[in-house]
Amino acid sequence: MTTDDGAQQGSESGAAASAALDGTIWPEVDRALAGVTATAEPSVLDVIVWIPRDEIVRGLRALKHDANLKFDYLRSLTCVDNEEEGMDVVYHLYSIEHGYNLTVKAHLPVDDLNLDSATPVWRAANWYEREAAEMFGVRFRGHPDPRTLLMPEDMTDTFPLRKDHPLAEIEVLQGEALAFPSGAGGGGEEE
Amino acid sequence: MATQVHPDHEFDVQDLMINMGPQHPSTHGVFRMVLVVDGEIVRDVVPYIGYMHRGGEKLAETMDYRQGIGWMDRTEYLAQFNAELSYVMAVEALAELQVPDRAQWIRMILCELNRILSHFMFTGAFGTDVGVFGTAFTYSFREREVIQDLFEEITGDRMMYAYFRPGGLAWEVPDNFVPRVREVLKSVRQGIKDMNGLLTDNEVFRARTVGVGAISAADATDWGCTGPVLRSTGVPLDLRRTEPYLKYDEIDFDVITGTTGDVFERFTCRIGEMWESIRIVEQCLERLEPGPIMPDRMPRMLRTPPGEIYMRTEAPRGEYGIYLVSKGGNRPHRLKIRSSCFANLQALRDMTIGSYVADAVVILGSLDIVLGEVDR
Repeated sequence: MTTDDGAQQGSESGAAASAALDGTIWPEVDRALAGVTATAEPSVLDVIVWIPRDEIVRGLRALKHDANLKFDYLRSLTCVDNEEEGMDVVYHLYSIEHGYNLTVKAHLPVDDLNLDSATPVWRAANWYEREAAEMFGVRFRGHPDPRTLLMPEDMTDTFPLRKDHPLAEIEVLQGEALAFPSGAGGGGEEE
Repeated sequence: MATQVHPDHEFDVQDLMINMGPQHPSTHGVFRMVLVVDGEIVRDVVPYIGYMHRGGEKLAETMDYRQGIGWMDRTEYLAQFNAELSYVMAVEALAELQVPDRAQWIRMILCELNRILSHFMFTGAFGTDVGVFGTAFTYSFREREVIQDLFEEITGDRMMYAYFRPGGLAWEVPDNFVPRVREVLKSVRQGIKDMNGLLTDNEVFRARTVGVGAISAADATDWGCTGPVLRSTGVPLDLRRTEPYLKYDEIDFDVITGTTGDVFERFTCRIGEMWESIRIVEQCLERLEPGPIMPDRMPRMLRTPPGEIYMRTEAPRGEYGIYLVSKGGNRPHRLKIRSSCFANLQALRDMTIGSYVADAVVILGSLDIVLGEVDR
């Protein structure tokens, strides 16, 4: 499940897992990802490839530029919050020329939510990363435009899509702010 | 903006910032963009979205799988069936439900009619954007109304259908479904011809759109564009063809592509797709046979085993994806909606820089954004 297991076992072991990967594009991906510690896992539709977060951009770039794969289209980029088990950043890739699908995942521990930005690989990652950053608190290093996207500009301390964030928390906070304005004239902290 | 000496002139010039939106008739909802203009030329565009953000992905985590269907309508409120389809197919794939044939054919008919409906909405709104004020809009809405009446007869609602269910359909279509659909198609055919006469063959319309806001295939791919925006550049990416779902592999239809990727081709691609949708619906009607619309045994409360899936379908605006992560139980652990407009809108800056201010409105209109889907 985690990248640590994968690094210890290596991609050769695990006969059951490799049997499930027969007939998939994993051998091609494995070859393209030479020099990157990647492990594969079958899923309902697409193969999932785990890449350690320090190597993620190197891996993604290799997948995009490999002549036999050419994952030139970033379908989607998002996060999944697994609470105390940390957070997964998920990339869904598609190769227009070959029609291949691939899911790439990077695992982030709870205490260090930093990851290199994928914007140098696909420009499409720009808004997806901005959304993931404001919703989950993941920091994408080297992002060219790290502003909020869907949330208000000043809402940089709460992360609504995290599991520990209650559904109604924002309404509660706004209600308090309305009832007890911090500034004298209602202008608040702008003064 | 800093004062600078214009290269062509001997005097100092200054760029002007113009704020457009969020309340603006040509932004198709609550969308704001800041234009940096030098005379009539747009030098930079900064889009601002999020005015309609309702936290839908968080809401979906609190709803069980059947409640989530209603929420999908509210994200993509011009192509509701297509949005529902991605969601129910994701749940079906995880729960390993087999959808009966009849339900699949009906789903295809409704999704293609919904595509026509959505494209009529586009032609009407886009006509207004380029200056054909009113006429194209009313003609489009006449046709849209015909389809919407049919949807109302089937589902009981004009906008928020909530008709698809994991496993099949909520209930059987009315007895006169097939003749009614044929009636609708007859009306739609005339409607498309009207649109061609009003817009496609109109010299003024062409002067406003041909060569405007072009984007290359490589750029469109890099920005993650899909749907007519990508196909107008010549990339034949249509999920109905590349990754067939439902029964699209048994149906004969063409993928409409363009060559230049300008505003005019984005428009003609959609017109061409409406003709293809009619073809698809006609073939589906031929294949439609009586039968069950739900699997024999459905659990009272639908639960999915742990797993994850990224289910994608071809909605009118492009790829509508649902990334569903389940940890068991009756509701998603995480539900991400991959919106086609969200990605298409990212390319707006590339398309608009260097064009005239008046064309910025046309280019935005040609993307056919639905803010409910962009902001979710």
